[in-house]
Amino acid sequence: MTTYTICVFTENTIGILNKITTILTRRRINIESLTVSETERKGISRFTIVIRHESRDAVEKLVRQIRKVIEVLAVFGYLNNDIVYNEIALFKISTPIGAKPLDIETINKVYKAWVVYWHLTYVIIQKTGTEEEIFEFFDYIKPHEILEFVRSGRVAVSKSPQTLVDYLPEAEWEYYQ
Amino acid sequence: MEFNENQTQTVLVAEPKVSIDKPELINGSHALIRSLIEEDVETIFGYPGGAIMPVYDAIYDYQDQINHILVRHEQGAAHAAEGFARMTGKVGVCLVTSGPGATNMVTGIADAIIDSTPMVCVIGQVAAHLLGTDAFQETDVIGITIPITKWNYQITRADEIPEIMAKAFYIAKSGRPGPVLIDITKNAQQELMSKSYSYKKCESLISYRPRLAPKQHQVEAAAKLINAAKRPFLFVGHGVQIANAEQELLAFIEKTDVPAASTLLGLSSVSVDHPNYVGWLGMHGNYGTNVLTNQCDVIIAIGMRFDDRVTGDLSRYAKQAKVVHIEIDPAEIDKIVKADAPVVGDAKKALEMLLPLLNENRHEAWRAEFKKFDAIENEKITQPELAPTTEKIKMAEVIRMLSNKTKGEAVIVADVGQHQMMTARYYEFKKPNSFITSGGLGTMGYALPAAFGAKVGAPDREVVAMIGDGCFQMTIQELGTIAQSGLPVKIIILNNNFLGMVRQWQQLFHQKRYSFVELQNPDFITIAKGFGIDGHTCGARENLNDSLDKMLASDKPYLLEVLVEKEENVFPMVPTGACVADIRLE
Repeated sequence: MTTYTICVFTENTIGILNKITTILTRRRINIESLTVSETERKGISRFTIVIRHESRDAVEKLVRQIRKVIEVLAVFGYLNNDIVYNEIALFKISTPIGAKPLDIETINKVYKAWVVYWHLTYVIIQKTGTEEEIFEFFDYIKPHEILEFVRSGRVAVSKSPQTLVDYLPEAEWEYYQ
Repeated sequence: MEFNENQTQTVLVAEPKVSIDKPELINGSHALIRSLIEEDVETIFGYPGGAIMPVYDAIYDYQDQINHILVRHEQGAAHAAEGFARMTGKVGVCLVTSGPGATNMVTGIADAIIDSTPMVCVIGQVAAHLLGTDAFQETDVIGITIPITKWNYQITRADEIPEIMAKAFYIAKSGRPGPVLIDITKNAQQELMSKSYSYKKCESLISYRPRLAPKQHQVEAAAKLINAAKRPFLFVGHGVQIANAEQELLAFIEKTDVPAASTLLGLSSVSVDHPNYVGWLGMHGNYGTNVLTNQCDVIIAIGMRFDDRVTGDLSRYAKQAKVVHIEIDPAEIDKIVKADAPVVGDAKKALEMLLPLLNENRHEAWRAEFKKFDAIENEKITQPELAPTTEKIKMAEVIRMLSNKTKGEAVIVADVGQHQMMTARYYEFKKPNSFITSGGLGTMGYALPAAFGAKVGAPDREVVAMIGDGCFQMTIQELGTIAQSGLPVKIIILNNNFLGMVRQWQQLFHQKRYSFVELQNPDFITIAKGFGIDGHTCGARENLNDSLDKMLASDKPYLLEVLVEKEENVFPMVPTGACVADIRLE
């Protein structure tokens, strides 16, 4: 199984997520992670979909099928090597009175994670990194009781110097001021 | 008393307002109908209901410009629009209500997407403020139809209508055609537009740019393969007809002298009389075309998608051949069969660009190989089918006799099953754009409404629906539509009192365990007469000639029921999972 990151640029209108996921569902492809947000261009959304698949051929076909959705402007499929990518995770860690204190220095310096919220009986730690880095930290912090853990979808930017504008030269973009 | 916004909307009147100092404001329903007129829509197939009533009220004012045809079931509207679109190349338009009206359309929409048929389905929806409340006749039509439409969109404001309708027609018709569904909430139909109505046809979209002219380097690579081929083999798909590329195709065939075979939906694009025409491909196609698929050196596939009914076992399909694939939908390239020379573009444009790069060539010896297989097929299958010794009439004789009587120039609309395959085998198509059938989806019940739609689109052509007794009962109610229109659609039921194709498979692959395939049929002629359509039954071979004459001579709709052999099988046959070269003759 290889991990593929599929970046989809679409119009930012109702229902596009449904139009894209139905293409994956029909081919029995599971979404490992998904992030959607508007891009630097007004009205253009960016989907970052992470999937695992054994066949590159099947992923290429998938990309071409997603491209057929009318609202889709462009689709790019990437291997991990092609992109810079990250996820963000939040850990709610129990810190009851009398428990072993958290080693904040290790958390900060070794794991590059930050306490972003303090409560009487717990703290919330934010960790940014790849899936592997997040789970390394997960293993480290596990001895303290993890009350809640949440991981975002992947965000990814291609290492290629080209941008969407290079692929769609005739598009007239409206940028945010 | 306080009114909320939604209540006030329902108070607005449908009448267009005209005043001197203000621009003319019309409501959504009028905007919709005017948009259809702007798109040169002359015919709508529809069925009214609660959530589409404001539009029906507007149509009342435009009856001199738009011919609305009232079907008997929304599925009939969808198939009729498909038949119309396939016949004319124009966009077929349907108008139905929300909920069940919409869900009844689903089969037709799914049929249209897989057979690349341009269609715009306008569907009523509950008022926007009721969306998501399980209101009466509310269904998430957008959600349901995402996988089966080329595009769908929900309009909730009258102001959106002109632009969205322009987009809908552009998307349905351009590139690889397909169905577009527009869901219009009732408030959008009723409310006045906030600005004066104006319509601008859509000519391009930033996110959707179908490629018409292929890239030159792709055409050159294709020409190189074709020029070097010793045993080239041309596959003619539906895309040729959609692109109106029959003339260019003929020029291609004549210059390169390639043998040409057709897919099911490609039938009639090349006349059976053409010396290079070698038959059709696939599960019940011809002997030579299937076997020699695995002996050619270059396949030139135009506007086709290598359906599994064409390829059989892929791992043993044309492995020796290089493939030139001319196709407008880039997602079809390499989808099933890897293309050595893909040419993404419109078939007509691609052939125009390809022609000057091709060498004049002759392939008599290669073409003669098809003749050897033809002789075997003719002796083992075709002749026994056409001149049977059985007491009962065989389907093939009916179809060939019809073919001869209509000089191979009628429009034949076949339903789905044995009679469909027999029609494809035994009708000798001599005129382009003459065969309409449900290929990809295999929708039983397609033919009766589709034949009607085709006749509406081409009233001057003889349109004959070939239908099985099973299929006929799936959309039998459309006899009412046909009767009301008075259009002389000719209907032939090939009645074997069986779901013949399923029975054939049960015989061949399930040890004759005939599980729920025998039908106790009604008296079809009495039913037709009840609808006001004349007809008769033919059960004896000696009456067949006169029966067909009587049907063809009628200037009204006519139903001819032919009682055929109960347990005949369609051969040749490439069983599922078998290799095309292992096609069975018995």
